[in-house]
Amino acid sequence: MSGYLEELKLPDFHFWKEIKEKRILLSAEIELTERCNNNCTHCYVNLPANDQDAKKRELSFQEIREIADEAVEMGCLWWLITGGEPLLREDFTDIYLYLKKKGILTGVFTNATLITPELVRLFKKYPPRDLEITVYGVTQKTYERVTRTSGSFEAFRRGINLLQKENVSFTLKAMALRSNVDELEAIKSSYRTISKDHFRFDPFLHLRLRPDDKRNHQIKNERISPEEIVAIELADEERKNGLLKQICEEKKIGQETADLSDDNQLFYCGAGKTSFALDPYGFFKLCSSLSHPDCVYNLRKGSLKEAWEKFVPQVRVMRTEDEQCRNRCLQCPLINLCMWCPATAYLECGKLDGHIEDFCQIAHARAEALGFEKHIEKLI
Amino acid sequence: MNKLERIYAKSKDLVEREIEGEIIIVPLTSGMGDLEDELFSLNEVGRDVWARIDGKRCVSEIVNELEEIYEIEREKIAADVLGFLGELEKRKLIVEDASCQAT
Repeated sequence: MSGYLEELKLPDFHFWKEIKEKRILLSAEIELTERCNNNCTHCYVNLPANDQDAKKRELSFQEIREIADEAVEMGCLWWLITGGEPLLREDFTDIYLYLKKKGILTGVFTNATLITPELVRLFKKYPPRDLEITVYGVTQKTYERVTRTSGSFEAFRRGINLLQKENVSFTLKAMALRSNVDELEAIKSSYRTISKDHFRFDPFLHLRLRPDDKRNHQIKNERISPEEIVAIELADEERKNGLLKQICEEKKIGQETADLSDDNQLFYCGAGKTSFALDPYGFFKLCSSLSHPDCVYNLRKGSLKEAWEKFVPQVRVMRTEDEQCRNRCLQCPLINLCMWCPATAYLECGKLDGHIEDFCQIAHARAEALGFEKHIEKLI
Repeated sequence: MNKLERIYAKSKDLVEREIEGEIIIVPLTSGMGDLEDELFSLNEVGRDVWARIDGKRCVSEIVNELEEIYEIEREKIAADVLGFLGELEKRKLIVEDASCQAT
């Protein structure tokens, strides 16, 4: 009789072995609001901070509590709070503490501009699982070229200084954009030492979740070229190794719900396998990007249990009859290097099985840079 | 006071979750684990002790109950339970419950 108590990191828990072949609800991502105090050029979701219509439609604290209660009953262990800017919610502290006190491992994504001494005390006493902050530049000029908000750079600096002063750890990441691409190295060298985890760049910009031609045009203008993306990735050893691992993996992750002999099946990813996303207005999604009307479920009209047990399987068996999608994308040996998925296809093309030429070029540039292109040509 | 007469209660700063049959102790506040981000898991015997920490039973009562479950000599069980409780107390997962002792 010894060793009754084990102190473990989450990936080391024994239940992972038990759930390997099951579809079980473990995590969720909740967008508390689409409103944001910044107005970033590349953002796929933001609305003005004072958008009263959006504010009125957002889930109330009580509604979030009810969904969290149901999620915990179903075994959900961690939630990521995101936005928009989640700290804009006046009841952020109530929501955060409620989730924590339910035993949910709670992470927060923020731009840090609204961090106050009170919030630092909250995070100090009740630490978030992850506190992830996005950096847009090391100079005010570049930072605010992206955020299009005067004073945001100063507010960001003040926020991270407050956290640092009280030793609240956080992870920094940067979006790699046309507006800041010349400053990426400076961003990395300035901030990597204060980031708790690996400092990473995200070069993939989603189009708006709600169609908006003007904003989508701005997002496309912010995208850097496939060659630039690959150069950034190859300079990052961790990311490069991740890609090499990805290309060797079996493409169909959701094996328990996917019919492997059915090449018409759209969803080969892990969406809805162990997690879900919740938008600010109560719409359940299999992942945060999957916004097609046939793939969302209104939790104001039904339960999480129904969404998880009945709705998700219906979505996961959706098929395509599109020849190009079947023969080109779903059969492509580079699919693991491609950002294509039904969710991004819908955002880019307006249909779940559309072909995305930009993503195709990135996948091929990655394969070439990693030395896989010639090998793959033989397979095609 | 004799250690076996002590009464312990679970800390209010933790939440107990059960995922796929595994008991997971989630600390709410900082400073409970050796390292940041860590959680606690209990093995089967640990669960038997943990389930009996209720702010009412004294250690000796817990040992009595375990003696009925495990065919091990009482002294060995008592030593193990005290060692385990010490580990839990060091990590602030339990507190000695003075209010319960008074009753």
